[in-house]
Amino acid sequence: MVKAVYIDHEGVEEELEMPEGWTLMQAAISNGLDGIEGECGGSCCCATCHVYVDEAYLDKLDPMSENENALLDNTVTERKANSRLACQIKASEALDGIVIQMPEAQS
Amino acid sequence: MTQQPQSCSQDPFDLYSPEFDANPYPAYAELMQNHPCYWSEIAGKWVLTRYEDVFEALHNWQSYSSLQGNLVDELPGRAGNTLGSMDPPRHDQLRAVVHSVFAKRNLEHMVEPIRQLTNKALDGVEDQAVFDFSNDVSARVTVGLLCALMGLPDGDNTTLRDMALTMAQTDPVTRQKGPEHIAAFEYVKDYAEKVIREREKNPGDDIISQMLTAEVDGAKLNFAEVQTTMTTLIMAGVESLSGFLSMMALNLADHPEACRELVEKPELIAGAVEESLRYNTTAQRFRRVLPQDLELHGQQMKAGDFVILCYGAANRDPRKFENPDVFDIHRNPKGHLGFGGGVHLCLGAAIGRLAAKVFFEEFLKRVPDFTRSDEAMRWVSSSNFRSPLNMKLKRG
Repeated sequence: MVKAVYIDHEGVEEELEMPEGWTLMQAAISNGLDGIEGECGGSCCCATCHVYVDEAYLDKLDPMSENENALLDNTVTERKANSRLACQIKASEALDGIVIQMPEAQS
Repeated sequence: MTQQPQSCSQDPFDLYSPEFDANPYPAYAELMQNHPCYWSEIAGKWVLTRYEDVFEALHNWQSYSSLQGNLVDELPGRAGNTLGSMDPPRHDQLRAVVHSVFAKRNLEHMVEPIRQLTNKALDGVEDQAVFDFSNDVSARVTVGLLCALMGLPDGDNTTLRDMALTMAQTDPVTRQKGPEHIAAFEYVKDYAEKVIREREKNPGDDIISQMLTAEVDGAKLNFAEVQTTMTTLIMAGVESLSGFLSMMALNLADHPEACRELVEKPELIAGAVEESLRYNTTAQRFRRVLPQDLELHGQQMKAGDFVILCYGAANRDPRKFENPDVFDIHRNPKGHLGFGGGVHLCLGAAIGRLAAKVFFEEFLKRVPDFTRSDEAMRWVSSSNFRSPLNMKLKRG
């Protein structure tokens, strides 16, 4: 199992455990977190699972696809250097303990 | 194979019987408890009912593929040609073409049209103490909404609605799509073709024109993809939204205390919509095919086997939802599978939620107090969807 810490826009933290291979979006939906919508279910076309990834884990992520990059230009909250889509981050041993911040709104 | 449904009464998953359409929940409870990975002789498919298993299957398209279609009894020519019967990456590319029309952030302009459509339908039954909710209210609103959203010509609505409803059904005796279901599917396909041909000549900013002009990997979508996708949008739009509105009205008729609360506090309606999606799921069952052998709960499933994912059962799984058989509008049933999940999560989820919320805001203002007109109700005969057939409601 892989642990991930989700912090909402008010600073409230929630730690979730998920099997390897799950996406951070999937775990958030399964556990009913408010801060992630995942409107397209992970088919990478809606940009409603926008998160800010803690700098310490940023380099451990797979590089973003052209598609993800384009979608991040269309998020409703500001895109930052550490912006990613949670549906494109797969839980793995290397990411155990990853910390992500959820923006105030997704749509 | 000889068609003798009665001889299979030992199989609790009696998918094609009217009794199962009316109430599948005792069978689901038995399977969830004792046979979480169940081979149904009647269906000729595996059946998954627990939330955890259905959720996993929905999120693992590599192990549970949609390439051979997602309808439990598939229609000819659908497999591989529309969102529900594709796998990534092709699925994701096509979804990206149509997604923006259905994206929550782009739907604000639909609120007033939905409000007006609802009031117009209610005007039509104003003088009736007993009214046909399914045909005269929910279907009208749904067809009107679909036409507005897709930029379709408004004419011929009743026939289109009847055909979309019929194509989603299954013959309860032969257990297959019968000639009338195939004919309905062909009707909707022909209707789609006419509209597409017209848009080819006069493109606009509607979803059909978007599909016609979009390029994926440098190539246009093929005609079968545009046509089958549009056919599916009509079926899903008409059948599942109309069915869901009927189902929610029925839930409120059967739970008058919840209904009264919503009349007094319309701000609770959005939560009641979520609970309705969970408690009486309209999209009860979809199927997948296994690309490889798979073992689950001690059962050996083989490559090529079909698996039925029972969203309606998962939404009543006591391992996930406390007191699952209780309709509780305050529950906030996060993570329910009323719209499925994973990459095939219902494309119309946001418009469905919005339509249901606005519809009931208006409906409950004008019909605050109502009951079922007939206790013995008929149900749509379908291996995928569950909703009341021709439901009549009585005021007061």
